[in-house]
Amino acid sequence: MYQYITGVISLGLIYVIATVGLSVFTGYTGLFSLGHAAFFAIGAYTAAILTYFYGFNFYLALALGAAAGGLVGFLIGWPTLKAKLRTDYFAIATLGFGEAIRVLLENLPITQGARGLPGIRGETTLPVLVVAAALTIWLAWNLIHSRHGRASIAIREDFVAAEMMGVNVFMGRLRSLTFSAASAGLAGGLFAHYFCFIQPSMFTSYMSTQMTAAVVAGGMGSISGPVIATLIFIGIPEALRVANIWRLVAYGLLLVLIMIYRPQGLMGYRELSLDMIRGWYRRVLKGGKP
Amino acid sequence: MNLKCSTLIPLAVALGAVLTGCGKKDDVIKIGQAVALTGDNSTWGQSEKNALDMEIAKINEKGGVLGKKIELVAYDTRADATEAVNVTKRLVSDGVCAIIGPGQSGVAIAMTSVTEPANVPFLATSATNPKVTVDDKTGKVRHTAFRTCFIDPFQGTVAAQFAAKTLKLKQAAIIYDVGSDYSSWLGKYFTEEFDKQGCKVVASEAFRSGELDFRAILGKIKGSKPDILYIPTMQKEAALIMKQASDLGIKAVCMGGDGWASPDLITLGGVAVNGSYFVNITSLEDPDIQGFIKDYRAKYSNDPVMPNPVMAIDALDVIIDAITKTGSTDPAKLTTQIEQTKGLQTLSGVFSVDPATHNPLNKPAIIQEVKDGKFVFVTKFVTQ
Amino acid sequence: MFVQTLLTGLAIGGIYALMAVGYSLVFSILNFSNFAYGSIIMLAAYISYFAMTKLGAPISLAVILSILGAAALCFLNERLAYSPLRKRRASSLFFMISAMGTAIFLENLVYAVVGAHFYAFPAVFTRTNLSFFGASIAVLDLFAIIFSAITIFALHMFLQKSRTGIAIRAASYDIQVCSLNGVNNGALIGLVFGLAGGLAGVSGTFLGMKYIVYPTMGWITNKAYIAAVIGGLGSLPGAVVGGILLGVLETFVSAYVSSVIRDVFSFSLLVLLLMVMPTGLFGRFLEEKV
Repeated sequence: MYQYITGVISLGLIYVIATVGLSVFTGYTGLFSLGHAAFFAIGAYTAAILTYFYGFNFYLALALGAAAGGLVGFLIGWPTLKAKLRTDYFAIATLGFGEAIRVLLENLPITQGARGLPGIRGETTLPVLVVAAALTIWLAWNLIHSRHGRASIAIREDFVAAEMMGVNVFMGRLRSLTFSAASAGLAGGLFAHYFCFIQPSMFTSYMSTQMTAAVVAGGMGSISGPVIATLIFIGIPEALRVANIWRLVAYGLLLVLIMIYRPQGLMGYRELSLDMIRGWYRRVLKGGKP
Repeated sequence: MNLKCSTLIPLAVALGAVLTGCGKKDDVIKIGQAVALTGDNSTWGQSEKNALDMEIAKINEKGGVLGKKIELVAYDTRADATEAVNVTKRLVSDGVCAIIGPGQSGVAIAMTSVTEPANVPFLATSATNPKVTVDDKTGKVRHTAFRTCFIDPFQGTVAAQFAAKTLKLKQAAIIYDVGSDYSSWLGKYFTEEFDKQGCKVVASEAFRSGELDFRAILGKIKGSKPDILYIPTMQKEAALIMKQASDLGIKAVCMGGDGWASPDLITLGGVAVNGSYFVNITSLEDPDIQGFIKDYRAKYSNDPVMPNPVMAIDALDVIIDAITKTGSTDPAKLTTQIEQTKGLQTLSGVFSVDPATHNPLNKPAIIQEVKDGKFVFVTKFVTQ
Repeated sequence: MFVQTLLTGLAIGGIYALMAVGYSLVFSILNFSNFAYGSIIMLAAYISYFAMTKLGAPISLAVILSILGAAALCFLNERLAYSPLRKRRASSLFFMISAMGTAIFLENLVYAVVGAHFYAFPAVFTRTNLSFFGASIAVLDLFAIIFSAITIFALHMFLQKSRTGIAIRAASYDIQVCSLNGVNNGALIGLVFGLAGGLAGVSGTFLGMKYIVYPTMGWITNKAYIAAVIGGLGSLPGAVVGGILLGVLETFVSAYVSSVIRDVFSFSLLVLLLMVMPTGLFGRFLEEKV
């Protein structure tokens, strides 16, 4: 039982790392990345190839996987963000990008195509994941609370005004995208060394969709919101195993309902904080008055 | 009762439920099943589970094994590798002594990351890729991985020999799914043997998983004038390819592998699939399994979808034999015992494990033809 | 091989054109990509399939039922998922999320309720094929091309000659001025969605007949978005041209280069066009001006 629970928590943490990155991008630029699983895949394959074929050190491979993800994010972001694609077409372009990466992974000799890479060293353990997740959240937090972060919020709220105020919209978005791609890459590397087997068909649009849903449900403009949402999305279906196929039905309905009734998601623009918890405690257990 | 207490009660109940769920029952033997109950492969998966339910009920009626009843713990893998890893972890923590399944090679390979360290054996039912049991990087066999079906190199060889020697066809075109290791490798094995037979593969075209429109590739293939179209894919793509090939006026004979063996092939392909052949592990006309088929039809009013149900029962037979021989349900002991299985009479025939590769020895293959909307038995090939 | 490829390309292009027109209709009025359109097409296919198999309806009745059903569903989709947002003047990001949520919800609802089983339409046309200059085309494809052309022509006549049609064209230029002139915007938008749904009914049925009916068949509308960009966003004749052109180009790439990179080609074309020539062939809408 213990092994099973740690398994669920580990999977949750891997997705948390990727989702935190995505929330920095989507939450703060308002653009959607429907092909984010591609960065995940790039990180996974890079780290796995380095340890599997070349015997690299695990942590170094992880770092390089994250770097690879970030680099590709930068390269993809440059033309698409420069072209000022509107939200919906940017999303479609990322979808296409996701496809392109899948094709690449299926056809390059080094990735062994559809066979994938079985027998990767299983070096991802719970402590490693906790440290990685904490690190990512800390980095994201700092990014948000920096000049870049404030510029991102300005861009999201009204990019025309932001541009007029001298914010470099293009660079701001590109930085966010690069960070989110790098964190997805890190999550991918951890994923590969956790499942010990990767195949191109494992990195589906379902993965991207789940991440996006977690960001929206958690609240675009918060880090803790998507973290909580991800843990709920991974945890609850495991606990109610029977409801497996209805999981996605619930995600879809949730997205629509959130947009109609509570667009700010779970956390809105705020972060989980001690004051907030104290407020709930008072309200729930002392019966009513905040 | 004030608010504080009423919030604690549901919590306590939930905690209790979780804890009791963790308890182990010692009066049953738990056998796990990792099976695709939903998704593209569900016709086979559902049939597999039905067969096991039926067989286990029979065994339990006769008193079970070692005086204990058998309980089948089945979880849905959706034929997805990531999901299968979760399923396997759950099965291991549920305390199963062995696992039957999965039916897909990619899924099986993923599961080894859990079964190897946990030392719980699994017997794949229709996972035909050789790399399931042998780690191709180290060349060593995976000690918990077994299977009851044949492997793809054999399947490809059989198809090529049948095409070249029996049907006397000289030029082949291959259409395969680049995203499926089963499909890509089966195509390669066919090509190797077809070349050895002195024939030529004139075209080899790949498509991406999930593709529906093959007319562009078929148009290209039409130009190379093949007399056989080898389609090592699953039933859905095979049906569409044959339908579209006939739309384009391609007159070649079509041939495929065990991925075709579902009744879907006929409902999806219509008249276009008539006159095609495919290799299978076993079929409804196999004389050895007629008793089983009669029982299945009586209980479920449907034919079992071959070959998975038979393979699953073979696996069950092997596990029960190992339990009886070792007198225990310790997964580690069962793993060692299963490896030594020799000459065991199972549902489909005689089963012996090759200790070097964990593949069954001397497994026959069957060729079936699709005639007038039905699968018809043609001939049986034995491993050389 | 050239003629065969061309013929196949036209057959595929015909379906793309039909989908692109339905998509452009909504886009031209509301300036947003209805990501749920694919799932409406998928539902239309299921409606006509079940009409034929469970009710024993002939193909003509099945198509009519599917047109009406899809129109109703598309209309409902707008009323339930989009009009609350429109009334709140929510940003386009929210529309997009709501559309995505609807798509995920509908697709997986079908998965959960009907099952993942694939269904094939009973044969309607004889399986013979017709020959042109050594190339073959199935009777079904020829029929699909002709029927699509008739449908699009009927739509065109409606938009040109009827009062409602003129109102729709006016709304595509400027929806606010349109309402100032006395047009009931809410009803108009509902009608447009209904029309788009009707087109979805036709394309869904034909897609189902050509291939198979299964829950994720709606993803093919990604090609519709690309076709709309090629033809020029907001232009209906452009959508038709774009659809046919995309179908032909894709098929040539599939046949002469490799089928594996076909989708990568289409998405790359999209990004390239959006960067270099965002108005497409006939379009009016430009990307964000800043």
